[in-house]
Amino acid sequence: MVKPQKAVASFDSATGMLRALSRFLRDRDVPMLGQAPGALEPVAAAVAGAAARLPRAAKEKAYAVSGWAEAVPLRRVPEIRSQELARWVSGHYPRGPYPVAFVGSSNGALVHLAAALRAPWLPQTLLLPVRRRGVGPDDPQGDLRATRAAGEALLAANPDLVLHHMHDANQDRLMIAGMTYFRVKWRRLPEAYRRFLEESLPAGGTLVVPECGLRWPVTRVGPRYVFQHGALGGATREEYEHGGPRVAGYLSRYGAGRERWDYPPADGESPEAEWGFEPELLADLEELAARNGWRLARMRFSEPEDLSPVVADLYRDWYQRRGLPGDRLLVECFLLLEPWWALRSGSVPYWMVFNAEQSHARAMAYLDGADPFDEIRLMLFSHGVESVGLAGVGDWRRLLERARKVGVFTGVDTRTYPRDFAGLIRAHRELSRIRTTYPMPLPLEWEAAEEFLGKREEIDWSG
Amino acid sequence: MPLESLVHTALGMKLAVWRSHGPGPAVVCVHGAGVSSRELLPFVRAMGATHDAWSLDLPGFGRSEKPRAPLTLTALADTVADWLAASGLERPCLLGGSFGCQVAVDVAARHPGAAGALVLVGPTVDARGRSPARLVGQWLRNSVRESPRMLPLNVADYVDAGPRQVLASFGTSMRDRIEDKLPHVTVPALVVRGGKDRMVSQAWAEEVTRLLPRGRLVVMDGLPHMVPYKDPEGLAREVAAFLQTAFLQTALLEAEW
Repeated sequence: MVKPQKAVASFDSATGMLRALSRFLRDRDVPMLGQAPGALEPVAAAVAGAAARLPRAAKEKAYAVSGWAEAVPLRRVPEIRSQELARWVSGHYPRGPYPVAFVGSSNGALVHLAAALRAPWLPQTLLLPVRRRGVGPDDPQGDLRATRAAGEALLAANPDLVLHHMHDANQDRLMIAGMTYFRVKWRRLPEAYRRFLEESLPAGGTLVVPECGLRWPVTRVGPRYVFQHGALGGATREEYEHGGPRVAGYLSRYGAGRERWDYPPADGESPEAEWGFEPELLADLEELAARNGWRLARMRFSEPEDLSPVVADLYRDWYQRRGLPGDRLLVECFLLLEPWWALRSGSVPYWMVFNAEQSHARAMAYLDGADPFDEIRLMLFSHGVESVGLAGVGDWRRLLERARKVGVFTGVDTRTYPRDFAGLIRAHRELSRIRTTYPMPLPLEWEAAEEFLGKREEIDWSG
Repeated sequence: MPLESLVHTALGMKLAVWRSHGPGPAVVCVHGAGVSSRELLPFVRAMGATHDAWSLDLPGFGRSEKPRAPLTLTALADTVADWLAASGLERPCLLGGSFGCQVAVDVAARHPGAAGALVLVGPTVDARGRSPARLVGQWLRNSVRESPRMLPLNVADYVDAGPRQVLASFGTSMRDRIEDKLPHVTVPALVVRGGKDRMVSQAWAEEVTRLLPRGRLVVMDGLPHMVPYKDPEGLAREVAAFLQTAFLQTALLEAEW
C-alpha cells in the first residue's frame, strides 16, 4: 500500500489549503507552506534565495525534479486506497464540536471563511501525481497512452472515486516533464469523512457544501474516467483545443517544434478537475445530514474567484464591526494562504486562483468597487513558466499602486519571477514581520456570516 | 544644470549650500549622520534637471561652520528651518537621507509650514533596533552592497566633521524617537526604501509610512541604504512623480478650505 502522504501532492491547492486551515484550527500560522518546522525558515529562505540565482535551465530542472520526486511510481498507483486518503485528510483536524463544517470544492476564499468561523473543510478533490517517462510536456495524447492503464487500475481498486486525468501543457509545463496529474474526486462519502463529521458536528449544526460550477472540455475515457484538456488559468479553452497566436508564440519560446497542442477530440464537459464539484457526492451528504439532524446548505457559485470578493467584504465588515480599520488588503495566490496572519494583521483576504491575467483583472475589478485600502500586500505563486496569459510584474505593480500608503510585494523577487521558488518560503517570512497587529478574535458566528453571505448574488444558496 | 556652490548664514552659522537650478519646484536635501552633501551631489545634479535642487551641509559637517559643541537634533532642525525661511523658497520639499530624515521630520513636526512635502529616503532608526551593537551590525551588512566609490567620500566627511561630531550625530540619531513625531507631519510624505537596505527593514519602513498621516511608501528593488548615491536618476524620477501628485493634492485640499 502507498502511504497517503506519499500519494498526495503536497504542492497542490487542496493540500495547501488543508494544511493552512488545519494549522489555523490548531492556532498556528503556515511557515514553509506548512511543510517543515518554522525554525528552519531562515535557513531555507537563504538556501532557496541562493538557488534562485542559478541559471534558468538549472532552475527549470529543479522544478521538474521537485515534481517528479513527490510523484508515485506508475506501477504503485493501483495500491492507492481512497479510504486511507480520507483518513489522512480528516486526521489533520482537531475533533469538534464545530457549529458548521464544509465538504466540497477547494477554494482559497472558502478557507478564510472557514477560518473566520473556526470550522473544518474536507476537500472532495485530491491530486495524485504519477511518474511517467518518455513523454514530452506538449504531447497530451502520449501522456494519456502512457498512463491510462494505471488510471483504470486505480479506479478498479477504488469504486468511490472519479478520475480527472488532467494535462496542462501551459502552466504545468515543468511539472509534467516527468509526471502526470491524476485528480481524484469522491463520488461517495468516504468512511473517515463520515466518522469525522459525526464526531465533530452536533445535531442542529450545519453541513455546508461549497459547489464550484466550473466545467471544462474533456475526452471521456471510461465511465468514471475523463481526460481534461488544459486547466483554468492564462490560456482559454479554445486555445487548448485549437491553438492560436499566443499558443504558437509560447511553443516557439520553449522550442517545442509545433504550433499547437494535439489533445484527443473533446466529447463533452465535466466538472473542472481541480476546482469543480462532482454532484454525485450530494446523495450521501444529504442522507448523512438527515440521519444526524444537521441542516445541509448547498453553496453554489460559478467560478472559483466568485467567492473572493464576497469573503473579502465579509472580513472587512467584520473588522469594522470590531472597531478595527480594515484598511489592509492581503492578495493571495493559489496555495499561498495565511489565514492566521490575515486575522492577526487585520488584513482583508482576497484570494486569486493563480497568477494569470484573468485573476489580475478580477482583483483590479474588486479594487475598483471597494473603498480604497491604505495597505496592499501581494503574494504571488511562482510556477516557473513564462506561460500563456501570465500577468507580468508591471501588471502587479499597477495593482499595488492602488494602495494609499503601502503597496508591496510580499516574498516576491521581481527580478526572478516567475522562476522564484524562494518566494514560497519568503512570503510567510515577510508577512510575519508586519507591525501593528491585533489579537486573534473570537470566531465569527455562523448565523451572522450566513446572513451576510445570503445577500450576495455571487452565491446561490439552497437548503 | 551646473552645480553652484554657495555659503549662506542660518542662526548665525555659515552653511555650505549646493544648488542645481532646474525649472520645477524646490527640493532641499539634508544628509545623514557624520557625512555631508558630498554623497548627495549626484542626486542634486539629477534632480536639478527638472527641479530646483538644493543640498545643505548641517552645522558641524562637511564644509559648514563647526559649532563649539555638537548640535542637538532640535538645534539642527531649527537651523534648517531658519535657512528655509530665509531662502524665499515657496514651501519646498524637504528630502532627508538616513539621519537627515530625522532632521526633516523634526522640522516638519515643529515648524509647520516650513516644508510643503517630505521625502524620507532610508529613515533611521528602527524603534526596535536602537542599540549601538545592532546598528554597527546592520551598517556592516549593508556596506557590502554600497558602491565602493562612496568610501573615499565617507572618509573625507568623517575627517571634515571630526570624531566628536560623528559620534555625537550617531548618538543623536539613536536617541531620537521619530515614531512619536511622525503622526504630527501633516504634509504629503514619500518614504523610499532600497529593497536591499539592511539598516532600514521593510517592516520599519512600512511602520514609518503608516504613522505618517499622508505617507506613501516606494521600495526601489535591489538598492542598498544610500539610494541617492546608488541610483540618483531613479530616485529623481520617484521624487518628481511624488511631487506632481502631492502638490496637486495639496492644491485640491486648499481649494476645499
